[in-house]
Amino acid sequence: MARVELKQVSKSFGSTDVIRDVSLSIEEGEFAVFVGPSGCGKSTLLRMIAGLEETSGGEIFIGGDDVTDAEPADRGVAMVFQSYALYPHMTVADNMSFGLRMAHRPKEEIASKVGRAAKILQLEEYLQRKPAQLSGGQRQRVAIGRAIVRDPKVFLFDEPLSNLDAELRVQMRVELAKLHRVLGNTMIYVTHDQTEALTMADRIVVLRSGRIEQIGTPQDLYQDPDNAFVAGFIGSPRMNFLTAIVQAGGRLAFGGQEMDSPAQTPLEPGRKLQLGLRPEHLDQDKGVDLEAKVEFVEAMGSTAYVHATLATGETIIAERRSSQPRTGDKIILHFAPASARLFGEDGQRIR
Amino acid sequence: MTANSLHQTGQAARTRTRPGRSRRAEARVAVLFLLPAILLVLVFRIFPLFWGFGISLTSATSTDPGQFIGAGNYLRALDDPNFRSAMANAVVVLLSVPIFVTIPMLLAILIHQGVPGRTFFRSVYFFPAILSSVIIGSIFSVVLSFNGNLNALLSIAGISGVDWLGHSATALPVTLAIQCWSTFGMGVLIFLAGLSTVSKEMVEAARLDGAKMWQIWWHVIIPELRPIIEFSTVITTIGLLTSMFGLIYVLTGGGPGTATTVPEYLIWAAQGKLNRPAYAAAVSMVLFFMTSILAWLQIRILSRNANI
Repeated sequence: MARVELKQVSKSFGSTDVIRDVSLSIEEGEFAVFVGPSGCGKSTLLRMIAGLEETSGGEIFIGGDDVTDAEPADRGVAMVFQSYALYPHMTVADNMSFGLRMAHRPKEEIASKVGRAAKILQLEEYLQRKPAQLSGGQRQRVAIGRAIVRDPKVFLFDEPLSNLDAELRVQMRVELAKLHRVLGNTMIYVTHDQTEALTMADRIVVLRSGRIEQIGTPQDLYQDPDNAFVAGFIGSPRMNFLTAIVQAGGRLAFGGQEMDSPAQTPLEPGRKLQLGLRPEHLDQDKGVDLEAKVEFVEAMGSTAYVHATLATGETIIAERRSSQPRTGDKIILHFAPASARLFGEDGQRIR
Repeated sequence: MTANSLHQTGQAARTRTRPGRSRRAEARVAVLFLLPAILLVLVFRIFPLFWGFGISLTSATSTDPGQFIGAGNYLRALDDPNFRSAMANAVVVLLSVPIFVTIPMLLAILIHQGVPGRTFFRSVYFFPAILSSVIIGSIFSVVLSFNGNLNALLSIAGISGVDWLGHSATALPVTLAIQCWSTFGMGVLIFLAGLSTVSKEMVEAARLDGAKMWQIWWHVIIPELRPIIEFSTVITTIGLLTSMFGLIYVLTGGGPGTATTVPEYLIWAAQGKLNRPAYAAAVSMVLFFMTSILAWLQIRILSRNANI
């Protein structure tokens, strides 16, 4: 178990900056998730912590030790890859014990460590099989087992569930969360899937273009996003953004409706803003009403996502739990003014 | 509703018949594409094989079809000192196969590792592979002759000259070394292609597991290259047994004595020099049998490992 600290870390490939000035500390035993769209640098950042990518600038500390220039094996980290990266010609047991065997550890130690990991991951009956004889989920467990056997200070996961089917992904998500509780190690997990981030993380780090957009608990990011990017990235379906114009007296005009600004900050009349409304907040019985024409309904069983257009021509997605309107219907969407989030034209949150 | 479902069944029936018809058409096209190759193999490989086997059972010469003598030519081969030394030389040649496979593998590993100037080395290594064996033979007969460049170089260092190609102890190893030089570029390319398929993440996992560079090569990468190693072994073996004639003809003419006479060369000598086509056919059958068994054994090993 150890704290991971990044101090003004940067990485560039030639003239392209992939990670820019990232500072971050992950507490001992914390489950941190790096999330962001593809190309945001989340995997690169993880690989820099692992030592698989050199750090162009800044410092990395693991458990208080400066590991910026240390070899991957000397950092006390273990990594689980998206492709599992198992050694195909070795049995499950040999895969898990590879590191210990290369370090010429005593046989008893190897057997007990492999046995423990196999027990935690329920792999005992597969120890003599080759990876090709296992299912995707079992292979992923072997990869995790290989990491456990190393007894690392920090576990690193690089999109470990991306190659699994939807059902297995949900199952493995739960198993990983349990594993974190059992082992208690610091874990850093990279994903592009915000659902994985929300369900597993103690804290989420949202990255875009090599910069941290926001760090916080899943609830922080969902309830109180710092900017329109985070607000749009966290939550599914994504937040609706409507153009709002500040009127005299601090009221906001948007989507053919007016309301008092939900923000404390005084706003000058005529300013153009973005009003963020989450689909699930548009299913209230009372509150501000928005008239909309239904264009399309995505029925999901218990709920439906209604795609509709407002008087201004803007499209909006609203969740409906009780009634399911039909295409062409005129409906009134209600929302509580406090659930609206306000952003400037630059995307920064106005509180 | 009923009409609709009827319509659907009709459609399903139609789509059911269509694959059958198109499959037949596809099979016809496939046969057409395969036919030229099958004909070529039949006319130029299978038929001559049986023809040759027929001739090997006779006492034919180039002018006389001869008589059926059964296994006479084969029995004669057993008593022929030339045949026996050709077989002994073939064993030496086969023993050198591991060297022919290992050298390109090591060089490919170095190039893959990213030594400086890797693109330069890659093209330079391949260069001899595009030269004809006659050209290579001519170059080396000049370089390696008793008054040649190599001995001149050695004399500067005070080492007395060796008749590399004229001495029975050195002729075959030197010929093999030249063959190796002229073919290893292809091996390097094959191994480089194999190395490019080794998963980067797997190597990184091994690095994180604390394996040292040589341990990664020995325990992770070379086992992954096993199919390539086996493929390279099969084609090298066949190549050594069946494609060294040109080089031997130009360099040593099978000599001194029979020091570089391999079965392939003996076939030519029996046919072209001694006018004994039936005997040549018998030796050819032996060589064919040898190559087939070796290739079969190696392919068996190869396909067994493919199932892992």
